[in-house]
Amino acid sequence: MANDTEKLSASESLRETRTFGKVRCHNPSCMERLEPSPGVDHIKCATCGMEYRIFWVRPDLPRIRGPVWEVNRKIAAEALARKLETSGNKSKAKEGV
Amino acid sequence: MALDRKIAYIDLSTGKIETRPIPIEVRKKFLGGRGLDAYLLYNHAPQGCDPLGPDNPLMISGGILTATCASATARTHIMAKSPLTGLLGSANMGGFFAPEMAWAGFHHLVIKGKAKSPVYIWIHNGRIEIRDAAYLWGKSTTETQWAIREELGDEDIKSAVIGQAGEKLVRYANVMTGIKNAAGRTGMGAVMGSKNLKAVAVRGTMDIRIAHPVDALEHNKHFIDGITGAKVNKTQGALGTPFIWGATNSWGGLRNRNFQYNQMEYADDIEPERLDEIATETIGPHHMTGCFGCQVHCRAQYKIPSGPYAGKYDEGPEYTSQGAFGAEPDCRKAETVLAGNHLVNQYGVDNLEIGSMIAWAMELFELGIITTKETDGLDLRFGNDEALLEMVHRICLRKGWLGDVLAEGGIPASEKIGKNSFDYLIQVKGMNNLHSDERGTPGLALNIATASRGSDHLRSRPAIDLYHLPEKVMRKIYSSPVPYDGPLSSEHTDYEGKPWQVFWHQNCYMAVDCLGICKYHTVFLGATLPNFEDWPKVIYYNTGLEFTPVELWEIAERCNNLERLFNLREGLTRNDLKKGDMLNHRYFDEPTRRGAPDVVGRTIDRQKFNKMVDEFYSHCGWDKKGVPTSETMQRLGLNQEPSHLL
Repeated sequence: MANDTEKLSASESLRETRTFGKVRCHNPSCMERLEPSPGVDHIKCATCGMEYRIFWVRPDLPRIRGPVWEVNRKIAAEALARKLETSGNKSKAKEGV
Repeated sequence: MALDRKIAYIDLSTGKIETRPIPIEVRKKFLGGRGLDAYLLYNHAPQGCDPLGPDNPLMISGGILTATCASATARTHIMAKSPLTGLLGSANMGGFFAPEMAWAGFHHLVIKGKAKSPVYIWIHNGRIEIRDAAYLWGKSTTETQWAIREELGDEDIKSAVIGQAGEKLVRYANVMTGIKNAAGRTGMGAVMGSKNLKAVAVRGTMDIRIAHPVDALEHNKHFIDGITGAKVNKTQGALGTPFIWGATNSWGGLRNRNFQYNQMEYADDIEPERLDEIATETIGPHHMTGCFGCQVHCRAQYKIPSGPYAGKYDEGPEYTSQGAFGAEPDCRKAETVLAGNHLVNQYGVDNLEIGSMIAWAMELFELGIITTKETDGLDLRFGNDEALLEMVHRICLRKGWLGDVLAEGGIPASEKIGKNSFDYLIQVKGMNNLHSDERGTPGLALNIATASRGSDHLRSRPAIDLYHLPEKVMRKIYSSPVPYDGPLSSEHTDYEGKPWQVFWHQNCYMAVDCLGICKYHTVFLGATLPNFEDWPKVIYYNTGLEFTPVELWEIAERCNNLERLFNLREGLTRNDLKKGDMLNHRYFDEPTRRGAPDVVGRTIDRQKFNKMVDEFYSHCGWDKKGVPTSETMQRLGLNQEPSHLL
């Protein structure tokens, strides 16, 4: 039984990996760790260019409130156009986003 | 001791009440809560019974840890055959009901039959009465709870009740306790309504003896540190479940305009931070409250600031209400989300289901499949906030042709509406999805396709798959308590390794539901939260029962297989679009149109999806048709079921 041992469980040992003060880029193919300066309300991912609005739950705990729409929808539109062009369907690229 | 809580059998047709102890051997096989309820359902529901008929047994229970020193043992589980799906009906809710029922002497209720007129059940320190509820019929969920307290003269009474939606047999009506705690899936409120059962009220002062109280309390301190230290729970404690909105909407994982888009652009007004700003009177970090024994406190309190419902007090909204009254119908006003949330709580109806049904009807309206003739003149276009809220009233009260039809649930409604309306219905096994779009996340798509109660995020969703965890971390989680050295991928757009993750979470969530604790205290939204290796100590200190992590895993497997056996008995077949482990064609055929670069333009690959299902079945010990093999039945000790031990 687990209470016979002093060994840490998986969840206990993983607690050391918790990071405060950082958020992950919400772009699944990027997922870069971003570290907003204290109190800022925006951050841009240096790796993929997506931009986010930041909310501070506590002074050491930022979270992504939501995207900066104009920036991220442009990136998404370009990505969709590229994908549809590859699949030979240009007309849908315009109506897509 | 915690294990001396009894089971009560209550026949509303005859008024007969019988109570029995729960044998320890049954506890060791099914623990309690959802697992033991699955055993009771399989043993007591006649094959093919009418879900709204007197033969359908309704189970109400707490988990094996309920009301002990363990944290967050607040969940009340409810099970019956579902009037929405015709398959497994199962839902659970937070609040204070199950602990109070345990203090009143009971862990499990089995309610059969149908009362001649409205009644409620009153349970008080080992005694059970069936009482007249005629004066409660027609009252809202909150009014009902206060009326019972007033009648019995005790403000500490906790009740599980139905509102008007349950009375009207809306097939996705909730059972509710408190202001917003909802057993909200698969129509358990309609089952109560069909029995003329308005409420179950409980009050108890019977001590629960803890097996090793000093150790239990000491260990709980450490346990609580682990839970409250997680970023996810700190954030939930400030913003409630809507905190998830920011991530899912940013990358494109939300259903918008039914299923036309996977992101709600410019939806800043229904972000949790904005809701917090708007309802400044009571919502926000300083106005959060919690369920029994929980330190997370994820439940916001609010008053609606303006509009027709201005001044109404309620709790939430949950993330699910942001979807139901925001993303899916494409409504962007905070007041609409708050008002919609208030209405479903008072009527007692599933916010996920009703939001999905209305969004589906809106798409049908815009396509011309239904017109103002069917809507009785209502302009049911996307983004029409007034029409959305009006449809909530009509469905819950079964008013007008469309309100009555949508109250029947998606599949029967599609049959009445006709044309190709079914093609647009985003459901699995007859139950609509959460407002999530799984086209960019194959693991989550597999989860909703195979979940035991229909399209569902709380039965096997590998939600942490979205966190891009390093493989080393994933391996640590997913290789315990049973070894696994197969593939695991940090990419949530991959297909590799996802069947094992779904299988692992299916067992994890079943274990949690048997213990009676909240999923926010396990590996659901936080990777560092407790799971199989952590629970044996908690169970031992509180109940004295000894289990290894592997034994708990096997119990969860056994209970999941019982649910599977029930579904198979009631007609589940693998590829049946209405009763199987299959997704709507739109997942395979319509590419996503919004979201992050790697999400936009995605569909689920049908061939890879089928391969995932095969692999998932194999992990479960099922054959290619999804039927447990004889070896699995033997290994889990299910070959004698139904065994009628209880």
